[in-house]
Amino acid sequence: MKISGSYTLPVARERTYELLQDPDILAQCMPGTDHLAKIGPDEYEMKMKMVISAVQGLFAGKIRVADQKPPAQFRLLVEGSGKVGFLKGDGVLTLVTSDALPSDPSTDVHYEGEVQVGGVIAGVGQRLLDTTAKLVIRKFFEKLTELAGQASLPAAVK
Amino acid sequence: MIPQNFEYSQPNNLNEALALLAGGNAKVLAGGMSLIPLMKLRLAAPDHLVDLSRVTDLKSIREEAGTIKIGAMTTHWEIEASPLLRSKCPLLAEAASNIGDVQVRNMGTIGGSIAHADPAADYPASLLALEAQVRIASAKRERTLSIADFLVEALTTALEPGEIVREIIVPVEASGTGVSYQKMVQPASGFAIVGTAARVRKSGGKVSFVRVGITGLAGKAFRATGVEKLLAGTAGSAADVQKAAAVAADGVDANTDLHASAAYRCQMAKVYTARALTQALARVS
Repeated sequence: MKISGSYTLPVARERTYELLQDPDILAQCMPGTDHLAKIGPDEYEMKMKMVISAVQGLFAGKIRVADQKPPAQFRLLVEGSGKVGFLKGDGVLTLVTSDALPSDPSTDVHYEGEVQVGGVIAGVGQRLLDTTAKLVIRKFFEKLTELAGQASLPAAVK
Repeated sequence: MIPQNFEYSQPNNLNEALALLAGGNAKVLAGGMSLIPLMKLRLAAPDHLVDLSRVTDLKSIREEAGTIKIGAMTTHWEIEASPLLRSKCPLLAEAASNIGDVQVRNMGTIGGSIAHADPAADYPASLLALEAQVRIASAKRERTLSIADFLVEALTTALEPGEIVREIIVPVEASGTGVSYQKMVQPASGFAIVGTAARVRKSGGKVSFVRVGITGLAGKAFRATGVEKLLAGTAGSAADVQKAAAVAADGVDANTDLHASAAYRCQMAKVYTARALTQALARVS
């Protein structure tokens, strides 16, 4: 399944890039993340509990960041598996300074990638995968926007 | 194919049910048409099921002060066959008759369907076009939400832990209203690839009232207000219908799946919206 889209964050490009590389921030933004720890340079292990309606799945997996070109671009590789299935994703995030709001610094985050989902969840949930993926991505960016607002407060005060 | 162990309760009335749910950990079993398959596949593994099948206070269809109140445990078949709904809110009866197959309609309930909030379910299109209200109960309080506020996003509603859908409230249709639900069905599942519900009224040769709800196209069903605005005030000719239906998918982030790409879904949304409007206009008396 191909996934692509973009989201505008109300923070400058450098700051957005930093936020997207911060494991603490990522752990808070990814819905259902129980645990996220650094296991090597640019590599993290994580545990997630996804709950969508009556369906719930525990996933354990790894995230790797590669091909960093700060503050413009990086590649994100995700793999996870659990009893209900597995997930493998490979995508590129590109950060562009947005001109939507010239008065405030803001950044368009474009994402494009390929996600493979297998196991029971893909077999019976095919019809809902696309919707669910969009939902999770939107929740991620909404939470990131919220945290970015808080994190950038001291800078705005000075 | 065998679910995990779970505790099972079968309360005899609403208060008992709400008391069992007050802890917040139990899952409601209505008709079980979505939940039981998920449990058998072990995609869902609730610790405790509260089966509402004996809660007869939730099984009724009654007219009250210009509205019809439908208990959450009313089955799709009971809605489809209800003489009251067929004469006074025919859109909902038509939508119910389009759900799944006869076995699903005999077991599945309107409360269960909207609480599950499948983005391709049939009811939401009609309930949005009807501007329905959802009455929600918990052990502590009751509240009523519009269907638009109730459906938060795909598979997510405004229900909080401990709350259940008590009843769905739809208006008694004003005389002279034409309605139609047109659905492109995915034959294996019976779900809508897209489905459009329309209600129209005319006065003095012009379209004076129009409501359009679309399901299946996006993460959640929505009111197509763009279509409504374009059709209102026109004569309701074939050209007017085409022009209005052409904006059915404008600004929508459409779903893609095995059965239909986003572009195809958008195109079909226009086609089925035009069909629903055409039939609804033909039914205006």
